[in-house]
Amino acid sequence: MTPNGAVLFAAVAILGAMVSGGRGLAAGYAVAALFALTQIAPRTGACLRRAAIVMAPLAAFMLIIWVGVVGKSPQEIASNAEGTRSAALFYVATVAARLFLIVFVLQAVLLRFDHDTPFAFVRALRVPAGAKRMMILTLSLIETLRNAVDRAYTALVAAGIVTRGLSLKNLRTGWILVQTVWLTAITTVTARMRDKWPVEDTLALLDPALDGGERRLSPPDWLWLGLAVAALALGQYLVWAHG
Amino acid sequence: MFTTQRLIVIALCAALNFSIGSIVYLVKLPLYFDSVGTILCALLLAADRRAAFVCCLVCAVTSTLMTGLLVNPFLPWFVATDLTICLVSAFLTTHAAETFRARPPRPAAFAGSVLLYGIITGVCAAIVSAPVVVYLFGGVTGSGSAFVVAFFLKTGQQLMSAALLSGLTADPIDKTLQVLIAALLFRATPTDFVTMVRAPART
Repeated sequence: MTPNGAVLFAAVAILGAMVSGGRGLAAGYAVAALFALTQIAPRTGACLRRAAIVMAPLAAFMLIIWVGVVGKSPQEIASNAEGTRSAALFYVATVAARLFLIVFVLQAVLLRFDHDTPFAFVRALRVPAGAKRMMILTLSLIETLRNAVDRAYTALVAAGIVTRGLSLKNLRTGWILVQTVWLTAITTVTARMRDKWPVEDTLALLDPALDGGERRLSPPDWLWLGLAVAALALGQYLVWAHG
Repeated sequence: MFTTQRLIVIALCAALNFSIGSIVYLVKLPLYFDSVGTILCALLLAADRRAAFVCCLVCAVTSTLMTGLLVNPFLPWFVATDLTICLVSAFLTTHAAETFRARPPRPAAFAGSVLLYGIITGVCAAIVSAPVVVYLFGGVTGSGSAFVVAFFLKTGQQLMSAALLSGLTADPIDKTLQVLIAALLFRATPTDFVTMVRAPART
């Protein structure tokens, strides 16, 4: 499977999850499970765990709010009915199932390509060169910002301006940390633009490095894409036939 | 339009959106803080509003996709909200760019601009976000603003109204704080960096 096929598969599977509800989600779950078992077999558990970690707080929020606080479903609110917690629970289960499927598909696709570097993944995408360059620069600058946070934090702790733990002092001086991080990042970027990159010819080398890696859709891509479309259609049929 | 300096600023602001937005999402504050970089990008390019709009839109879409892939898979659904924030930031908030950098500072004008543009951005973002919050999340997102939705549902509001009222309650505060941080960072940015970024493309 190519990165382009994976992105298209994920897009169609997520669209299917969005437009289906209740029974319609079953088809999406079947294709997602098949994808996970065949493409990332030994790491399906890890994929489930990651999706659960993302979804657990959200599901807990929904349970607290819909079942605990509100105590009835939106349909019951709309019809001004008395409302039951079981209806609210069913509503939460449906929304959570849809969101879990979205997260699971994304995680499965990410795990499928986690042996590739972000650079290799971006290089293989069939998107305009400018978009690739932007993605790579952003990823690089996220690291720069992380380094800036480390440097600024260490310097300000050493200077006694902010403390390591929670403190009232940090409330007063926290802004200095934010400002220092920004100025550190600006300084780093300016130095790169003025000195480092022109000397190393970095940006000129980036385009050829990113070009030419685009991969056409392979037969497995088309197979998975077909399955995702079939799941979408089946999901829509199930919604239409059974509600 | 996309000079090297501007590309770097877009990427830097996208990285800022990613970093701040991820932290706030993970600690479940009742705020979002994921557009500071977008607003800052518009302010840095305030001299050319069309370029400011295009660049901050690229910045917002890039950071939304990155955060969506790596941290918060639900963020990409709010891409229309990004577009709204970009429109307001590039064509309205940039009017205050000189006020934000004025030396000596003009506190009243500064605070007034932050409040005005923060509230406008927040109201617009809330209106655009509400249908997504209702349809995708059933009214309850992963952020702390869910408790505000719960409050309005408890007071008998319909789901769409509750989500909209929650947005109108939380978003103006959130966006005002974001405009404030962006304005303060813009003010702290060295003049030579701003000049370098605003320099037109060489033909």
